[in-house]
Amino acid sequence: MRTSHERGIAEVTITVESTIKFPYKRSLGPVIGPFMTALAEQRFIAIRSGSRVICPPLEWDPETAAELPRDFVDVGPAGTVCTWSWVSRPTEQHPLDRPFAFALIKLDGADTALTHVVDVESIDQMSTGMRVAPRWRAERLGHITDVEAFVPGEEAITVNGGVPGEPVTMMSYDASITYKIPVSDNTIKAHEATAQGRLVGLKCPVCERIYARDRGFCPIDTVELTDDHEVELPQRGVVTSYTIITPVQYPGQTETEPFSRVMVLIDEIDVVMMYQPLVDVPVEDVRIGMRVAVVWASEAEKADAGRPGNLVGWMPTGEPDNTDPSLANRIM
Amino acid sequence: MSTRPVAIVGIGQTNHKSKRWDVSLGGLVREAAFRALEDAEMEWSDIDAVVLGKAPDLFEGIMKPELYLSDALGATGKPMFRVHTAGSVGGTTGIVASHLVAAGRHKRVLAVGYQKQSEGNAQFALGSGQGASMGAGGAFAPYMRGYIHRSGAPEDIGPMVAVKDRQNALKNPYAHLKIENISIEQVKASPMMWDPIRYLESCPSSDGACAVVLTDEEGGKAAAAAGRTPAWVLATAVRSEPFQFPGRDPVRPAGAVDCATDVYRQAGITNPREQLDCAELYVPFSWYEPMWLEAHLIAEEGQGWKMVEAGDTALTGSFPVNMSGGVLSSNPIGASGLLRFAEAALQVRGMAGEHQVEEANVAVAQAYGAAAQYYAMWVVANSLDPFGS
Repeated sequence: MRTSHERGIAEVTITVESTIKFPYKRSLGPVIGPFMTALAEQRFIAIRSGSRVICPPLEWDPETAAELPRDFVDVGPAGTVCTWSWVSRPTEQHPLDRPFAFALIKLDGADTALTHVVDVESIDQMSTGMRVAPRWRAERLGHITDVEAFVPGEEAITVNGGVPGEPVTMMSYDASITYKIPVSDNTIKAHEATAQGRLVGLKCPVCERIYARDRGFCPIDTVELTDDHEVELPQRGVVTSYTIITPVQYPGQTETEPFSRVMVLIDEIDVVMMYQPLVDVPVEDVRIGMRVAVVWASEAEKADAGRPGNLVGWMPTGEPDNTDPSLANRIM
Repeated sequence: MSTRPVAIVGIGQTNHKSKRWDVSLGGLVREAAFRALEDAEMEWSDIDAVVLGKAPDLFEGIMKPELYLSDALGATGKPMFRVHTAGSVGGTTGIVASHLVAAGRHKRVLAVGYQKQSEGNAQFALGSGQGASMGAGGAFAPYMRGYIHRSGAPEDIGPMVAVKDRQNALKNPYAHLKIENISIEQVKASPMMWDPIRYLESCPSSDGACAVVLTDEEGGKAAAAAGRTPAWVLATAVRSEPFQFPGRDPVRPAGAVDCATDVYRQAGITNPREQLDCAELYVPFSWYEPMWLEAHLIAEEGQGWKMVEAGDTALTGSFPVNMSGGVLSSNPIGASGLLRFAEAALQVRGMAGEHQVEEANVAVAQAYGAAAQYYAMWVVANSLDPFGS
């Protein structure tokens, strides 16, 4: 008998690609700030820690955590490759668009190594102990990429170009990551049901609680839920609680106007669908006890591949409100 | 399970602000750690292990910050642990650190919690990087509406909590929000953000860190003999529950009730309202004060808001709550739980300064996280046997 884990892998036939990205900021502090400022001036600075010289500099001794006096010293610009790794197929997130080496480079005068890039045409030109020097960018921001790459040799390639002029205190970090998320059999079945205009759930055979079709398990009884447990759900219900959200703006935010999210207790059976959108209901009209029914996507909307599902939201049925005060106890 | 006594002998925190752009991330956590070590009269070399807590990595976009910060926190060559229980993480971090001492595994442990919200965006992070994020306020608002309906509490209770905590923050030199002369009218006039929660009924986004040094009975007694009163950890409890199942009650979650029941039983507390002198509860939105007073068994069900209305939870009331100004005044998320735990300890050590509660001998601290799914609580006292059992 296969375990559910093995079966889970075997059933994954579809993956969904998802990218999240965000422009993070970094405050650099009293040591990395001057280091970045020096980069803009085509210089490397290090910090003394006892008899050692640390580059890139740290605010503290990495072994004892003792705060270091701000005793900066110039190092480099040339250095020695301590060890390296060849990147034969760079992605768009790599610093160069052609094969290159990541290397630990001990700049002349420093006792610790800096991680950077060595730009050579082939892996055959790389060796531990090789001498390298920086090739600076013309437009420098006070960022580690102000050094475009290190290249073999002793002489730095300097360029007279634009520099910040002010001490560098902040750094931007545009993070981006793309995931491939496997889609479970239960999720596929959930989408198929909504494509057919059906609202379905999975009923736990032990406690008889009903869960969303893509949940796949009962968290109370730790029972796996599959096709055998599918139940049809009525497409009407009542609002038991809600909120009206004023959207806070952030990179990637898609909303600009206040929007509601409601909890819907489905008729006849014991299940609440949480944080559901309402369709064509002014936010000031949202209330506990409001009777609502499912709104499915139109054919035109179904054609929009960017839309998350066929269940668009819920719309008032026009029936009188349910005034049962215990409704407020059914948030879930 | 037999465990050994645990003493809190060092507490430190940063000056919390919306943007601590004057320091690096390492500098931020070290600011709190320096203050805790100084309070404990210890050096980095005295620490045997470090426990770090923070909210999800999407907040600052630094993956595995426990590795990135290990040398900044003096953990080179020492055990370094990362704890991850969403918003409750600061509390759980303190508890994990206390367990390392209670188990006899380590003698002196540094617990650190932090968040640098200014480097990212909380709404983005809580929305898993997607649009239309509800944020924590949107997720919790239906729960708070449920409480209001169920309890019949008057509308002003939430604003009263918001005013009370901001008044306490004026007495706390480390607090982020300092709103002089704040009034209920001012709170009610502020924009409705996540109906029924207004802007001034919500926590700020803060940069900040908190650090606590925990040690064993010998270390605690030595501190006491030197005139530095320790806070003794009488009991700890942690609970979790699924985010959703039909019939789950997020207004009075079973996990919250169980966590309180467990921590009071261990501490020998049979009447929390009488035996505890004050409480620091994780209240990021105003209505959570009465909700947690009830769910953590300090007030009878449906009676929590009456403690607020009567002024019992004010600094000078019969049962002060959130003396520090609470999460409503400072919210470096990963540190927020540990700040609650540290404030309870400061109170029983008599070191809370202007926001000190008189005769604070026993205090409880609480933190919660995710969709009100994770709970962490500890009870601390200025003696190992405060009830003379």
